Amino acid sequence: MNNTETSTKKKYPRHTEKVMKGNFAAAEAAKICKAGFIPAYPITPQTTIVEELAEKVGSGEMDAAYVNMDSEHSVFAAAMGSALAGERVFTATSGQGLFYAHEVLHAIAHFRLPMVVCNVGRPSIPWNIWSDQSDSLSQRDTGWIQFYGESSQEVLDTIIQSYILSEKLEIPVFVVLDAFYQSHTSENVWIPDQDLVNEFLPPKQLKGTEINPDKPIAVGGLVQPEHYGKFNYDFWIDINRVENLTNQIGEDFYQKFGRKYQAVEAININKDTKIILVTISSITTTAKGVIQHHPEVGILKIRLFHPFPKNSILEALKDVANDTLLVAIERNFMGDKVGAMMQELREAFYGERYFKMIDVFTGQGGKDVPPITIEKIIYKAKNNPEDVIWIDME
Amino acid sequence: MIEIRGHARGGQGMVTAFDILAKIFSKLGDYQVQSFPAFGVERTGAPIQAFLRIAKGEILNRSNVYHPHLVVVFDETLIDLVPVFDGLRKGGTVLLNTEKSINHFKKNADSIFTVPATKISIEKGLGSKSLPIVNASMIGAIMRLIDGDMEIAQKVISENVPAKPKANSEASVLAFENVVGFGESELKTKEFLDAHSAEKIDYNIEELFRKQKDKTEYKNPIWSQPMSLNKTGNWRVLTPEYDKKTAPCSSNCPAGTDVREFIKLAGEGKFHEAVEIIYEHNPFPAVCGRVCPHFCEQACNRSDFDESVNIGGIERFLGDKFSPEKPIAKPITKLQKIAVIGGGPAGLTAALRLRENGYNVTVFEALEKAGGMMRTGIPSFRLPNNALDSEIKRIEDAGVEILLNNKTKISEIEKDFDAIIVSVGSHIGSKMNIENEKFVVDGIKFLYDFKIKNDRNNVNKDDKVAIIGGGNTAIDVARTSLRLGAIPTIYYRRTENEMPAIAHEVEEALAEGIKIEFLTTPTGLQKNDDLLNLKMIKMELGEPDESGRRKPIVVDGSDYQLQVNHVIAAIGQKSDMFVFDNQQIKAKQGKIEFSSSKPIFSAGDMAWGGTVTEAIGSGNKVAAEVHAFLQKIPYQQETSVPNVVVPVDLNFTYYLKTPRIHNQITHKTDFTENFDEVVQGLSDEQILAEGSRCLHCGDCFSCGNCFNYCPDAAIHVDDNGRLRIDYDYCKGCGICVQECPCSAMTFEMKEAENE
Repeated sequence: MNNTETSTKKKYPRHTEKVMKGNFAAAEAAKICKAGFIPAYPITPQTTIVEELAEKVGSGEMDAAYVNMDSEHSVFAAAMGSALAGERVFTATSGQGLFYAHEVLHAIAHFRLPMVVCNVGRPSIPWNIWSDQSDSLSQRDTGWIQFYGESSQEVLDTIIQSYILSEKLEIPVFVVLDAFYQSHTSENVWIPDQDLVNEFLPPKQLKGTEINPDKPIAVGGLVQPEHYGKFNYDFWIDINRVENLTNQIGEDFYQKFGRKYQAVEAININKDTKIILVTISSITTTAKGVIQHHPEVGILKIRLFHPFPKNSILEALKDVANDTLLVAIERNFMGDKVGAMMQELREAFYGERYFKMIDVFTGQGGKDVPPITIEKIIYKAKNNPEDVIWIDME
Repeated sequence: MIEIRGHARGGQGMVTAFDILAKIFSKLGDYQVQSFPAFGVERTGAPIQAFLRIAKGEILNRSNVYHPHLVVVFDETLIDLVPVFDGLRKGGTVLLNTEKSINHFKKNADSIFTVPATKISIEKGLGSKSLPIVNASMIGAIMRLIDGDMEIAQKVISENVPAKPKANSEASVLAFENVVGFGESELKTKEFLDAHSAEKIDYNIEELFRKQKDKTEYKNPIWSQPMSLNKTGNWRVLTPEYDKKTAPCSSNCPAGTDVREFIKLAGEGKFHEAVEIIYEHNPFPAVCGRVCPHFCEQACNRSDFDESVNIGGIERFLGDKFSPEKPIAKPITKLQKIAVIGGGPAGLTAALRLRENGYNVTVFEALEKAGGMMRTGIPSFRLPNNALDSEIKRIEDAGVEILLNNKTKISEIEKDFDAIIVSVGSHIGSKMNIENEKFVVDGIKFLYDFKIKNDRNNVNKDDKVAIIGGGNTAIDVARTSLRLGAIPTIYYRRTENEMPAIAHEVEEALAEGIKIEFLTTPTGLQKNDDLLNLKMIKMELGEPDESGRRKPIVVDGSDYQLQVNHVIAAIGQKSDMFVFDNQQIKAKQGKIEFSSSKPIFSAGDMAWGGTVTEAIGSGNKVAAEVHAFLQKIPYQQETSVPNVVVPVDLNFTYYLKTPRIHNQITHKTDFTENFDEVVQGLSDEQILAEGSRCLHCGDCFSCGNCFNYCPDAAIHVDDNGRLRIDYDYCKGCGICVQECPCSAMTFEMKEAENE
């Protein structure tokens, strides 16, 4: 075993390195993206995001209107109103708060209102506040774009890119963090200088269609059946553009900031790969550590979960053999026979490639996923696996 | 990579400490850091963990730290609660916050260091004494182990602590300087990271799966009780417990009666049970309910809320109307025979206790009826004879032999007994030592003459009677004279405040029209035909004397004279020394020195006290001592009573102000020849109402406040109907204790387990 370790730390010009928690990185991103309106309501484990923003606005460090609301439903309603008026909106929520806002989520997406919102994932019932993606994944069909970040750095960078994407397509974006393993984890984060962000993310462009007290209009009226489909058709056109645009913005971001993000990230995937772990969020990091000792195992990290990046996945897997085993790792439970990741993967490969796939439920309700659990998953995958495995039920 | 795991209680600042440590490490070199807590619904006192990783390259692990190079324990009490040393790497280091010697912990790791972080934090005013915030101190100590730079550490601490940056920074330096351990820490950051990359832990996966299968079949949790899987009892620092504490009424009763218990039972209508409780300590409830100064009521915590509970009224009711199961003389099981000389409350109580204990007991009573001062000194309008007779009868029924008209002394009877208790009381009036005292009637004798022999001592209608003294005897003499048709006046050398008589007796006397003149005393007497010229002099109060009362001093030149028909002195009593062959023996409670072939004990008024209830308590005690002496077992008098509930312990918010139900008192303009009892008893309904006024000081009465307020639903009613705490889930918040109306719970730093 190699006992020495050379520093692989990259350095980024026009950045400041800080050690900060994921929730603070999210708040910092909202500041440097110059969000102008923050409706807020606390809920663990998201609370420190809106607390930190309150601090920033209160101290004058950030120029935004900050409003304490009476519930998450009101938070999203206020976000919707403010976005209708043309403001750049940011807020954060979690679990039950997200469920409570569900009705308004549809409205924001289908009124085509751009905004970026952080969700710190936690499940519903049985009652629990720890890391789980069941809350955000259950909102998949509300029309929002969903990114899942692996590190505090990625969360911060993704929020910057999401404002470009959201405002270009007029579709709202969720950036999802893992509870505690990200939200409360202090780690090294490179904060880009404000002028660097300004060069990349221009102020929000107004289109002249914003609501205006001087010219009152009615918004959200009844749409007759003969026109209804046309609204959805337009949405469909734009949702189809998300994947390519994500990759393109990621490329632009890399040129400007030096950190590369795409819809998916392939690690150790090549023609010799026998097993691919399909992951999202913080489990990816631990899996990366484990596969260093398993050259035959690769990782496909899904960063853009919705709309599911089918083309990027097929591209990432183009060299792998057909007998490669795909392992979907699910830190969610959708009340279905398989988890959300498995459903999406099957849809992505249908008519394109055939892979043997197994589904692994793990890390439910914040259960820690240490290297040993990843090792167990790999062991199961290698040894006559069942189609669906619940890995840590001891 | 270095991995560190911290153990603390919520509130000690560990999560902040690990965040600050991550920031410090990032400045110590070109390192990647990662720190996070493992907590959830965290609360002050709950055991929590925090993790820290430091590496030169990317940290490819976001899970908890299971194999730390360094374990840091912020609170040494966690060592027994949480497996803090689990997974420590071979050669790993442990840092403990403790003032104990390292030798206590040597077995747990090869490399152990300690720091008195709690002491340092308290010195620096960080946090409270019950929960000091030790984080800055612990950071300083860690810096010592990892060869950190204290200048950087102090700067980062000052910038990142929520309050008191200077005190925190100073605490970290003090801690840095006060780390004690054996050997050198091998964790010096730079050298360690240069030498160690992320080490792979080798697992035997097959073995793991095999073990998993060996485990008993997986049990489904109950969806409606997810908390049942999460036993939160170990969050507790302080533990609430139901604790039956002593009530002041009970602790203040000289007889030792469990007052709180009999009042509770009476309030519930369980009159028979209630009188049984009294009878355990006091065979004279009907008497004490009437004539005791009610030490219990004087101490009643309810006085601080509205008015004390009418305990005397309840006791009298129980004594008058209910009796314990008719006593059956128990078999005599002991060889020794015991004599009791003097059949008053002390002697009869002692006799009863010893008889119950299986001894043959004989009481020698000088008079034609037993009862002592209860019989001779307390007038019938305060204590009717039938109340006393029935209580003495119960003692005889229990097998105590009382020999009446049998004035005896130790030397006459010692040959026939194995132990003798002397309890002859104090029946001889003290002298005033003035001229012509032969014309003065002794007050205690006056009461005796009238009650026992119906001898009025020539006190006739409209006679002027001067009564000298301020005690109960003086009051009783005055009230008796009034009923004989005379005009009594009490002369007392001090003021009303110093009067030793029971306050309500004084009130009743005044209400009946008896005059009391204060600050005056007789100096001489002359007989003038049928009248007596009583020379008096005025007094004033000087410095307090040894009794604590202010000493009366003669006012020079204030002499005056009274013309009265009778002078009755009631200035104190002493004991008849006939029992000791007229030797002047100073009696005291328990065994006394007296030359006899048998052990001699004394009790009652002659030993101490001066009230019926004190005499009863004295009798109980002497019986226990005699028994111990005869059986050759050690006898120890009870010392002070710990933990008596006082008003500040009570939560008066949960009680309603309710007026005390007083006993009715007969008011008349003329009491001549009226010897009826003055104070009337209470009715059944009144007893229920008055009994329910009891606050139940220190005794759970199942009000359910704890049950209602417990935020964790950790309190339940058990199969026996008792409220119980489930210590698996009690987090020690203390709300139950705070909201307990009657202080029937304690809250202390100790462990408790379910029954």
